[in-house]
Amino acid sequence: MADTLIAPVADEAPPVEERRRSPRVRKTPVTYLLRFIVTAYLFFLVAWPVSLVVTNTFDNGWESIRSLLEDPDMVVALQLSAYVAVWSVLINTVFGVGMSLLLVRYEFPGKRALNALLDLPLSVSPIVVGLALVLVYGGRNGWFGPTLAGWGIDVIFSTPGIIMATTFVALPLMIRELVPVLEEIGIEQEQAAESLGANGLQRFWRITLPSIKWGITYGVVLTLARSLGEFGAVKVVSGNVLGQTRTATLAVEEKYLNFDQQGAYATAFLLAMVSVACIVIVGIIRPKNHN
Amino acid sequence: MIWFSALVLIPLAAVVVTAIDGGWDVFWATITNGQTAAAIRLTVFTAAGVTAVNVVMGPLIAWVLVRDRFWGKSVLEVLIDIPFALPTIVAGLVLLSLYGTGSPIGIDIANQRPAVFLAFLFVTLPFVVRMVQPVLEELDRDVEEAAASLGASRFTTFRRIILPSLTPAITAGAALSFARGVSEYGSLVLLSGNLPFKTEVTSVRILSSIENDNVAAAAAVATVLLAISLAVIVVLDLIQRRVAARG
Amino acid sequence: MSIEVSGLNKKFGDFVALDDVNVTIPTGQLTALLGPSGGGKSTLLRIIAGLEKADTGSVSIEGVEATHLPAQKRNVGFVFQHYAVFKHMTVAKNVAFGLEIRKRPKDEIEHRVQELLKLVHLSQFAHRLPSQLSGGQRQRMALARALAVEPSVLLLDEPFGALDAKVRKELRDWLRRLHDDVHVTTVFVTHDQEEAMEVADEIVVINEGRVEQVGSPDQLYDEPANDFVMSFLGEVTHLGGISLRPHDIELEASPQLAGSVEGTVSRMVRIGFEVRLTVLTVDGDEVSVVVTRAHARSHGLQEGSTVWLTPAAGATVVPRMAAAV
Repeated sequence: MADTLIAPVADEAPPVEERRRSPRVRKTPVTYLLRFIVTAYLFFLVAWPVSLVVTNTFDNGWESIRSLLEDPDMVVALQLSAYVAVWSVLINTVFGVGMSLLLVRYEFPGKRALNALLDLPLSVSPIVVGLALVLVYGGRNGWFGPTLAGWGIDVIFSTPGIIMATTFVALPLMIRELVPVLEEIGIEQEQAAESLGANGLQRFWRITLPSIKWGITYGVVLTLARSLGEFGAVKVVSGNVLGQTRTATLAVEEKYLNFDQQGAYATAFLLAMVSVACIVIVGIIRPKNHN
Repeated sequence: MIWFSALVLIPLAAVVVTAIDGGWDVFWATITNGQTAAAIRLTVFTAAGVTAVNVVMGPLIAWVLVRDRFWGKSVLEVLIDIPFALPTIVAGLVLLSLYGTGSPIGIDIANQRPAVFLAFLFVTLPFVVRMVQPVLEELDRDVEEAAASLGASRFTTFRRIILPSLTPAITAGAALSFARGVSEYGSLVLLSGNLPFKTEVTSVRILSSIENDNVAAAAAVATVLLAISLAVIVVLDLIQRRVAARG
Repeated sequence: MSIEVSGLNKKFGDFVALDDVNVTIPTGQLTALLGPSGGGKSTLLRIIAGLEKADTGSVSIEGVEATHLPAQKRNVGFVFQHYAVFKHMTVAKNVAFGLEIRKRPKDEIEHRVQELLKLVHLSQFAHRLPSQLSGGQRQRMALARALAVEPSVLLLDEPFGALDAKVRKELRDWLRRLHDDVHVTTVFVTHDQEEAMEVADEIVVINEGRVEQVGSPDQLYDEPANDFVMSFLGEVTHLGGISLRPHDIELEASPQLAGSVEGTVSRMVRIGFEVRLTVLTVDGDEVSVVVTRAHARSHGLQEGSTVWLTPAAGATVVPRMAAAV
């Protein structure tokens, strides 16, 4: 049936979506009014205040940043923040992937409750988080604290406590990125791989992981931003020992309260740069990957 | 699971256990104590007020971001996310630079109640917007056209077709924004001055109890906040199920 | 005449969707806009409904100049391929929507909704949400919703396109019967020629933004205006310089008729009572021929047989277009 039927004709049809739509932007006065309101609102609430931090930092040129980086205590604080953030990202990535797989692929009693509870760290006050960790892991009278202290592990008022607090508050971010991705890719690809003889580990490394790598990337970026910026929970568990358990965010508060405004603005500027960079990165990769 | 329990569930349970350790009377006395009650009232009312503003502004911002097209829109997109990513302590400093002492526009609300409101408004900005935006994007234009062909004006279409479709997203965003407001701490440290009976919020109250080594009192107040967070989560879960049923 | 469209042009960027379209659609009839995807038929329908604006040209509905009327003032019923249900309203509320907009009294609305739900066989689903209905049921609800406002014309954009084959066929028959009862002027868009032939009183064939032909299904099939219409409405093959239907070719085992062309059977497939042959002619054409099984048997046909082909007397033929090969 070489030249029969309707099929050839249909093939010749231009590959154009019949239902092309003119981008329906009817510009009425209301459009401009709404645009104006929104822009003004965001300008006064976000854009102007944030830009003032930048200008305040550079009142004296690069001087304030330089003096900040020459202060050994500050360097320690920045290093600690980075160290804590890296750990938090690592822990949340490993467990986040595991939890997401658990939530998407398996049915078990209490799944719905677990799913709902995972959002708790986003809505609980960081102070409450800190308090909760102190109550359990506190060296003097926490539930597990004395035992751990007996083994020589101090959690509260030391680095592990800061890492725990930070991990806690950033916990849902990775999972919330991965669950929808995993749900969307389904299990057919893995079943195909299984039928081709791949074992569990091979399937994970060669099929699952590559298909969620963008989800993981966003998760890492968001977790990083959140971890670097955590303040309240860290404040409760850290003890804020200068040069030991003082993170960059704690330093901002301290410098400001000690009337070192330049130092506070400079530190805030560094932290803000990182978080803005994170949003911009996510904003740039995400739309591309969506197609 | 064990990891989640060790990190999240057991510590939170410890808070509740410590709170009710002293019995119901002690718990009640703690949270109705004058200064504490004032802090809780301020926090809840301010969070509610801020949420009300977000319920109006959030969909409006989302609408402009989805339906309008103009130069600089992508900048607005970034601005929306800044409060989410910015360290809260930095957020406080940021607001202080425009609305505090030495404000370039002469508005100084530092250490006053509006400062609490402003801080909440800043940190809760993304929630409603980011919940509503994807729903608005996915909204089938056919449905609006169907309403138009049935004789509905643009306003009627918005009120009767678009708004009801957005309601679950707005409610979910509002719940998150309320929860975030109630639990906010970092941005207030520098901005509000934490004056008892005036600008002291619940989180600050808990912290000062901790610092005074009154862990039981801290836990009692923390339990109140936990209860609010849990309530919000239940609300979100119910909304999700309702949306799933609607299909 | 119910709908008059004249001199319509529409471009999306540099893609020409409609190119000087003039159509008149008669009152009370069921008219199909038929053509391949991307040919402009949906655009035409949407311009009639006021959902899209033409660049130039005019539209009048029931004698009323409608070119610049917004959709909500045209009083047309529009049914979408993907139903466009109001998800948050019950079936009854969906159907009542247009009447509520028109501020009709409550008891009238209720009465009318019941009547319509009965008409589309959805009475028992009145208080369900659309998500609890099947695709076919949703589309019937959408139809009732469009009919509720007593539109002067009913426009359907690929109404069965999203349904599976069986439901599609049922709904198609049902639409035909419904139209026989309701008699509202109806225009529907389809790319399925069988659907158009089966349901429509009149078919407008549209391709690449132009109207190729207007006529009854029989007219289009028997007297196609050109090669495109002919090939779009059924199987076509080419013999010598003409296009014709494969079953309109006489096949003989020896040269008996004047002007017959010699060829070899290269492929033979039997489907039920008919036999489909591919014949390679000495002129180098590859011709499709359909004969009955009895005919094939009586000539002892098999792959490799030599045969002679002639256009049958009274066959529908059009000169062959070079481009359509």
